[in-house]
Amino acid sequence: MASSAFVWWRALAHGHLLPGTVPILRRVHAVHAVPVLALLIAGCRDAPPRRGAVRVDDFGEPVRRGSAVSPSRIVSLMPATTELLFAIGAGPRVVGRTPWDLWSDSARRIADAGVGLRPNIEAVLARKPDLVLLYAAGENHAAAQALHAAGVPVIALRIDRLEDFRRAARLIGMATGDSARAATVVDSVDRTLARVRSATAGLPRPTVFWHVWDAPIITIGRGSFLDQLLTIAGGRNVYEDLSQPSPQVSIEDIVRRDPDVILAGPDGAARIRASTTWRAVRAARTGHVLVVDTSLIGHPSVRMGEAAVVLARLLHPGAMP
Amino acid sequence: MTRSGFWIVAAVILVALMVLGVSWGTVPLSLHAVVAALAGHGDRNAVEIVRALRLPRVALAALVGAGLGVSGAALQGSLRNALAEPYLLGVSGGAAVGAVIGVALGFSSAVALPLFAFAGAAAAIATAILIARAAGGRADPRVLLMAGVIIGAFANAAIMVVLSGAPANTMRSALWWMMGSAAGADWPQVAWLAGYTVLAGGALLWFARDIDILALGDESATALGVNAERAGRRVFLVSSLLAAATVAAAGLVGFVGLVVPHLVRAAGIRRHRPLLLGAALTGAALVVLADLVARTAHPPAELPLGAVTALVGVPFFLVQLRRFS
Amino acid sequence: MIRFDQVVARYPRAAGAAVDDVSFVVPPARITAVVGPNGSGKSTLVRALLRMLPLVSGTIRVEGLDGAAGDRRAFARRVAVVTQRESLVFPMPVREYVALGRYPHEGSWHAAGAEDERAIDDAVMLAGVLPFAQRSTEELSGGEWQRVRIARALAQRAPALVLDEPTTFLDIAHEMAMFELFARLARGGTAVLLVSHQLNLVARFADTMVLLHRGRVAAAGTPTEVMRAAVLEPVYDWPLVITRDPAVGAPALLPLRGSSR
Repeated sequence: MASSAFVWWRALAHGHLLPGTVPILRRVHAVHAVPVLALLIAGCRDAPPRRGAVRVDDFGEPVRRGSAVSPSRIVSLMPATTELLFAIGAGPRVVGRTPWDLWSDSARRIADAGVGLRPNIEAVLARKPDLVLLYAAGENHAAAQALHAAGVPVIALRIDRLEDFRRAARLIGMATGDSARAATVVDSVDRTLARVRSATAGLPRPTVFWHVWDAPIITIGRGSFLDQLLTIAGGRNVYEDLSQPSPQVSIEDIVRRDPDVILAGPDGAARIRASTTWRAVRAARTGHVLVVDTSLIGHPSVRMGEAAVVLARLLHPGAMP
Repeated sequence: MTRSGFWIVAAVILVALMVLGVSWGTVPLSLHAVVAALAGHGDRNAVEIVRALRLPRVALAALVGAGLGVSGAALQGSLRNALAEPYLLGVSGGAAVGAVIGVALGFSSAVALPLFAFAGAAAAIATAILIARAAGGRADPRVLLMAGVIIGAFANAAIMVVLSGAPANTMRSALWWMMGSAAGADWPQVAWLAGYTVLAGGALLWFARDIDILALGDESATALGVNAERAGRRVFLVSSLLAAATVAAAGLVGFVGLVVPHLVRAAGIRRHRPLLLGAALTGAALVVLADLVARTAHPPAELPLGAVTALVGVPFFLVQLRRFS
Repeated sequence: MIRFDQVVARYPRAAGAAVDDVSFVVPPARITAVVGPNGSGKSTLVRALLRMLPLVSGTIRVEGLDGAAGDRRAFARRVAVVTQRESLVFPMPVREYVALGRYPHEGSWHAAGAEDERAIDDAVMLAGVLPFAQRSTEELSGGEWQRVRIARALAQRAPALVLDEPTTFLDIAHEMAMFELFARLARGGTAVLLVSHQLNLVARFADTMVLLHRGRVAAAGTPTEVMRAAVLEPVYDWPLVITRDPAVGAPALLPLRGSSR
C-alpha cells in the first residue's frame, strides 16, 4: 500500500498527471517530502471505514465508499469537481463534463455531457456513468432523483467556501477510491494557504472591492471562498458584512464604502477604466485597480493556494516571496 | 382636476421628484451637502455621487419616461386603441433580441449594447410595417398591432433559444439588461437621448393634430382630408423609433407608455398636442420616481427599473377592470 | 356640385366591378339620393369619392377639383362626408368633437381662429345639438350622436355634403327631423348627396333619385319617374305596389308579401 502510494506521489510531484497541479506540487516535492510522505501513510491508514460514521453529500444522501469497486466512468457536472477529479488522479476515469470545463486538453477530449443546472439526464446516462457528481442546487433535486431511479450513484456538492472544498475533496476521494491522493491535494492547498497567511500576518490590511460582474454589479460576500482567500492574503473585503456568496450592490454604495483597492478580472478592469460612472469610486479614480486572472479564481479548486499567493503579491508587493 | 391645474401639479411634481432623485440615495447626504456637491464643493465622494452618479441618472430616467409617455400617447391615438403601447408593437422584442445577441457575441460595453438594441428595434419596426403592408392592411391599425404581436412572439422565442445554451454570465447580463436600468447613465448618453427625444417628440407634436383626426377612424379621417394610411404609418414609425431609443438607453422599462396617457386623459386633457406634452411630463416624473425606488428600496442591491414600473401596471389594470364592469 | 363621370371602381381581388360606368351630377341647392338594393354599389361610390378605393377609370369631381389628384385637404374643404358608422375610442365634449371638422381649414400651426369658432357655433346651431353641446360624446343617444356627426360635417363649411345611410338607427321622429335638416341645408345652397335605404323618405325629400343595380345606373330622375313598380321590381326582385297619399304628396312604396308572387 505504502509503496504504491509512494509511486503515485512521485508521479504527481513530477507533474505526470496534471499541468495545473505542477507549480504547487513541485514546491512540495523538494522541501516537504517527508511531511507529505507521513501524511500519505496516515492517509493510507484512513482506508478502512470509520466505525459508525456515515458520510453524506450536500443533499443529505449517503456516499458510498469506492475502495472495493471504484467507479470507472465518472460524469462530473461541475467545473470544480472536474478539476478535483483530475487533481486526485481520477482524470482518466472521467467520461462526461459540462460545456464549460475546457481548461486543459485532457478535459477537452472528454465528451460534453450537458450543463450542470437541470442537466439533460439522457445525455448523462448516454455516457453510461457509474458515478455522477452534481451541483447541489435546489433545481437539481429532480435530476438527482432521476439518476437514482436509473441506478446511478450521485454525489451532490456545493463548494462555496474553503471548508466545502476540503470536504468535497475527501468525499470524492472516498467515493473514487483515491482518498490518499485527495488528502494530499487538500493538504498541499492548506500548506500554501498557511504560508501566505503567515507572510501577511502583521501587515496593514487594505479594504478591497472585488468586482465579479458589471451588469448588475456583483461582488463577493462572506459566503464566498474568495472572501476567505482575500483575508488570508492580507486584505479585507469591503462587503464582508453581507453573508451571501455573490451579492448584488449599487455603485453608490461602493462609493460610500470607499475601498482602497478594486480587484477585477481583465475584462472587468478594462470596463472600470473606460466607464465614467466608476470614476465616482476613489480607487478607480486614483488607478488602484488590480487585475487577477479569472481562471485562477473562478471556482474553488486545487489552485486556491496559488490564487492566495497571487493575491498576496498584488496586495502586498514584496512581502510574498 | 382642471386642465390648468394639471400642468401646474405635473410640473411641480416633476421638479420635486428630480430634486429628490438627486438628494436621495443609498448614501445619505444632507440637502446642504447636495447643494454644495452640485457646485463642486465639499467631500470629494459626495461630489462624485451627486454629479457623476445621481444627476445623469435622474436626467436619463426623466428622458426615458418622457419618450415613452409621448410614444405611448401618440400610438394610442393613432391606433385607436387605449391599450396600445410601444412595446406591444415589436419594439421591445426586437430591441431585446438585438441586445441578447450582442451580449452573446461578447459586446456588452456601454457603447455597443445600445447600438445592438436599437438595430434590433429598428429591424422589428421595419418588419412590422412590411408585414402590415403584405397583409394588405391599408390603414387598418389592427393589422399593425397584429404584426407587432407576431414579432414580439418571435422575438421571445429567439431570446429563449439564444439564452438556453448560454453560459451563466451571458444570461445574467442579458436578463439584467432586459429588466431595465438607469444605472449606467453618463452624460454622453443623456446628451444623445435628449437630442433624439427632442427631435422625435417635436415631430410627434407636429403630427398631433393629425392624430386627433386619425382617432376618428380611417373613413372619417380621410373625409377630413388626412391620408390615413400615410399619417398612421408616420406616427407609428416615429413613436416606435422614439421608444427604441429609450430601450437602447435603459433597457426594457414597461408599462410607462401604456399607463401615462391614461393618467393625463384622466385629468381631462384630450387634444393630442397638450396630451403629448402632458404625457412627457408625467412619464418623466413616473420613471424618475421608479428609479428612486429601484435604488433605495433594497440597499445595497438595486432593483431593476422595469420591475418597479411593472408594479405600476397592477393597479392600472385593476382600475381598467373596474371600469369594464 | 359633385360630378360622377363614367366611374368604374373595383375591389382588390374581386372579379367584377363594384361600380360600373356610373355617371350623374349632384347639383347645388338640391338633394340627390342614391338608392338601390344591398350590394348595388352605393357605399362603394362613397368610398370611391373618399379615394379609399382607387378608380379603374372615370373621374369624380367636386367643384371642379378631381378627387384623385393630390390635395386631400382642399378636397375636404369642398365636400364633407358623413360615413355610415363611427365610434370614438376616446370620448370628448360635443363641441370639441364638432371643432374637429375645422381641420381642412387649419393652417400649419393648427391654431383655431375666430372664423373657426363661428363655423363651429353655426354648425352646432344648425344641426340642433346646442342643448347637449357640453356633454361628453359617450353619453349621447343614437339620434343625438348622429346629429353631432352631422354637426361636425357642417363645421367643415363645404359646399357639398355626402351622407351614407344617415338615419339607420333612428326612430321616426329623429328620421323626419334629419330629413328636414337636409332639406334646409339644400335650400341654403349645399349640394346634398344622400345614400339611403329609405325609399319612401327619399322620395319625399329628394329632388333627384339615382337607382343603382349591380353597380350600374338602372334609372335616374325625379322621384315620380323612378318610383314606379316597373322600374323598381326588376331591381329589388320583389313584388311592390306604389301608392300616392295626397297628405304626403310623393309616391310611396309598399312591398307585397312573398306569397302573392
